[in-house]
Amino acid sequence: MPVVLTVDPRSGVPIYLQVIEQVKRSVALGVLAAGEQLPTVKQLALDLTINPNTVAKAYRELERDGVIETAPGRGSFVRGNGSIETTKTAATDVARDAIEAAVREAKSIGLLADDIRTLASAAIDRWFREDA
Amino acid sequence: MSTISIKNLRKTYGPYVAVDDLTFEIPDACVFGLLGPNGAGKTTTFKCMLGLARATSGSVLYDGAPLVPETLERIAYVPERSVLYEWMTVAEHLEMQRRAYKKFNVARANELLAQFGIDLRKKARALSKGMRTATMVALAIAREADILILDEPTSGLDPINQRHVLNLIINESARGATVIFSSHQIGQVERAAERIAVIDRGRLALEGDVDSLKADRKIVEAILPSESFALNGLAGDSHILRLDRTGRIVRAMTSSDAAEVLAKFEALGASGLRIVDLNLEDIFLYAVSPADATADVVEDTKL
Repeated sequence: MPVVLTVDPRSGVPIYLQVIEQVKRSVALGVLAAGEQLPTVKQLALDLTINPNTVAKAYRELERDGVIETAPGRGSFVRGNGSIETTKTAATDVARDAIEAAVREAKSIGLLADDIRTLASAAIDRWFREDA
Repeated sequence: MSTISIKNLRKTYGPYVAVDDLTFEIPDACVFGLLGPNGAGKTTTFKCMLGLARATSGSVLYDGAPLVPETLERIAYVPERSVLYEWMTVAEHLEMQRRAYKKFNVARANELLAQFGIDLRKKARALSKGMRTATMVALAIAREADILILDEPTSGLDPINQRHVLNLIINESARGATVIFSSHQIGQVERAAERIAVIDRGRLALEGDVDSLKADRKIVEAILPSESFALNGLAGDSHILRLDRTGRIVRAMTSSDAAEVLAKFEALGASGLRIVDLNLEDIFLYAVSPADATADVVEDTKL
């Protein structure tokens, strides 16, 4: 199983959210390909030394978000149908959280919407320079 | 099914109240962590659950029924202190367990003892504290019981064997057993437990699902326009458990809906708003901090 997930149980972020975020990131990056099988709930719980019900909860939410699908008796797989859609959804979810946090932080230290927009477009220009 | 209900449990030793009006439920197939400072009443609770101590009042019910001898057949217990016989070898302890319990899995016991690196020929008195703990854990797991009650099951173990015990707990849970364990190492409880209860001076200080507690309990931090700024309307806010105020900085601990609390601070004209996550240790320390100290803090905040 090539999935390399790590969780930080001592973080204030619930463990099941950490698992969800990392699976989405792996799907977005193609580390987890469409159709690829995820570890069983028990296996991932033992690999990460975390509660099995926590893993099961993360898998249920990933299934609801359309990132994985579970075949009874066979296991959980990265959604195969429309894999580009799945990848993009997963990437969007991860990026949205990061951008939300950055905007919230900028607002909290007194920046106005226009200031933040200017910063955001400057950042986009810098990171997408070669695409221009 | 192995749901355990503890209802209004009270245990006194003369004038000393060890456990006072304790009520919580351990769901079937759950890994449940029991936390509390030294002398909080964890071991007494376990003893009442096992019938080793008679409750002064209240009850412990297994799937709705009181403890009977047949229930004890389904429970494996690892006590906090070694109950091994000093003059007996590990192999003799294993044999004793095999004779005592119908379901004892000898092959599994041998496998687990080997994993811990325990020499079967050693007498208990030759084992270190950690190896005694490991021996008792191995013999308990080999019972293949429906319910495991583990009082400090990682006590004295090195980090590798601590991790091994946690994985054994996880494995037991994955096969459907209900596990309740206590530990002073909150990081271990944070990993393995789905739900926790915090006991402080015999009373229940906090109980809940670990992930939900982390999702709900946050610190909302804000900078107020002035030191004398009044926080109108926040005194009675049901989402706020505690307010600490130092100069212009105010920190609110939430019981839920941190974003809503943050919006209220913003509406009052506060700036520098942020939400800080709390780990289980932070949440635990808050739960066992003296209540009167908390009251003082709230009083000082000019609400």
